[in-house]
Amino acid sequence: MPSNGDQIDTRIEIVTPENIAFEYRVAGPFRRLPAYLIDLGLRVVLFWLGLMVFMLITGLLGVPGVGLGAGLVWAFLLLWFYGGLFETFWNGQTPGKRMMQIRVVTVDGRPINGLQAILRNILRTVDAIGFYQVGFVSALLTERFQRLGDLACGTMVVIEEPQWLREVLRLGDPEVTDLAARLPYRFQPSLSLGRALAAYVDRRATFAWGRRLEIARYLGEPLREKLNLTAETNLDLLLCALYQRTFVAEREGETPGQSPFAAQGLEK
Amino acid sequence: MKVSDLLESRKENWRELDRLCTVLEGGSRRAAPATAVSRFAALYRAVCADLALADAYQLPPGTIHFLHQLVGRAHNQLYRTRTFHVRDWMRQLFVVVPQRLFADRYLRLAFTIFWGVFLAAYFLALTQPGIAEQILGKEMIARLEDSFSEPVARQGGAAGNLGGAMMGFYVFNNPGIGLRCFAFGLLFGIGGLYATVANAAIIGASFGFMSRTSGAASENFFHFVTAHAPFELTAVVLCAAAGMRLGFSIVGTHGLTRGASLRRAGEQSLPIVLTAVILFVLAALIEAFLSPSAAPYEVKAAVALLSGVLLMFYFVFLGYPREGMTNDEIRMTKECRSPNDE
Repeated sequence: MPSNGDQIDTRIEIVTPENIAFEYRVAGPFRRLPAYLIDLGLRVVLFWLGLMVFMLITGLLGVPGVGLGAGLVWAFLLLWFYGGLFETFWNGQTPGKRMMQIRVVTVDGRPINGLQAILRNILRTVDAIGFYQVGFVSALLTERFQRLGDLACGTMVVIEEPQWLREVLRLGDPEVTDLAARLPYRFQPSLSLGRALAAYVDRRATFAWGRRLEIARYLGEPLREKLNLTAETNLDLLLCALYQRTFVAEREGETPGQSPFAAQGLEK
Repeated sequence: MKVSDLLESRKENWRELDRLCTVLEGGSRRAAPATAVSRFAALYRAVCADLALADAYQLPPGTIHFLHQLVGRAHNQLYRTRTFHVRDWMRQLFVVVPQRLFADRYLRLAFTIFWGVFLAAYFLALTQPGIAEQILGKEMIARLEDSFSEPVARQGGAAGNLGGAMMGFYVFNNPGIGLRCFAFGLLFGIGGLYATVANAAIIGASFGFMSRTSGAASENFFHFVTAHAPFELTAVVLCAAAGMRLGFSIVGTHGLTRGASLRRAGEQSLPIVLTAVILFVLAALIEAFLSPSAAPYEVKAAVALLSGVLLMFYFVFLGYPREGMTNDEIRMTKECRSPNDE
């Protein structure tokens, strides 16, 4: 995807085979570094454990040299194929990536294949020049924070964090309900206004009283004029009432009980 | 229909999918019962539909955000990484890769450079006194003479034991050099070129120097290197060629974007590099067990000859263009030969 200037944050849109578009957040260097360090530590531990086991077994058999050799082969595998094999069999994750909740996917959002997983980890050598300076610069210069290995494989690392579902807020305040009832019946907030209202109401609990009024003023004042409300109307309460109208109250022109999901046959 | 009621009716499905995702992400894919897996697909489709209609339903942004990440997580569980199949590997190794190598221009280039520099350094070191010292440096010459001053064959019954340790060291060290040589090729091919030329000059000069001087060190040297040389030198050339392909693909894109050209080169070169790793391991086996053994020189020479014949068989007989490739494989092979005509 060419840089189109629309992008102001780290979200990347993906269109799935189900023909819907969803967004990923791309993982930046500062989330990938801890994952890398975890993997590095794990590799060191695995190497020593493996070496000890090999030496113990072969030492008992009287051929410790073979154990040392096996330990070195083990080191070779860990050094070059640890990431590649984990990302192949763990669906784009290594233990470190799983702990940091990030995952490697292709730039078009599909899972990576074994070839890509192995290649991007072999090319890590180049990114690691100067303690990952090459990879860091490459990540900063590309839209999807790709290091050189990612560029050669067409992969990116995305954040995959579980989130809590936020409920619609029930503002039990009687003043709000009162004000909502006094709003003109035919007024329905538009889509973008609804979004702005939700963004405000989601956060207002964390604001102090004065701050609420200050923020609500930008949206509240024009709305108060448009809806012919008195100048004493509390703007914070006005936005809450509109929120209630948008998301909680019955809408005009819709028959209650006609669920848009009824056709999908998923209601148990 | 109120948004709050709508959320209420969908919440359970979303939470169920969320829980299923957590179970599947935990790696216990086989532990999940079949009914849960089939329900997962239905739930995923439903959430996709919800997300597609999120604007029409006027869902609040927080909820839409939640749906985006839920669809993303479920998407990654539904579409999983394609792993390797051993049968595919065999086909890659013995059918696809040799034919691709046979057509590979970069392999010819790397081959020419490597052997050209090797022979030049060899003859210079053989005929001109002092040249070997200039190429290798005094220290390295001293080390060479020192390490080959004793007969390579070891005494006593420790051969198996020490051989095991040496085998491990060679497997750790040599493919690592090759892989690094490949990866550094990414830097516009210069890394691969430099590594090829440097390796060829050093090895060639060592051979020349050892041929010029006579005596125990020279004899021991050839006793040691002959048997594993064909596999190891071929593997070095393969890695260098793959690295050059990677690096030059950024410069000469043949009508693609630089990114796409690099991705294509990566896809083409990785099987070649993995083949080289296999050759390195074969060489390490010989280097650890046969090369330092007391076996007569004739046996070692015979092994070198045999591996040479095997390599010829691989590159020429298996590599010669033939029927039975899929269209995709034919396209890739053609691109290796001349990326221009497509």
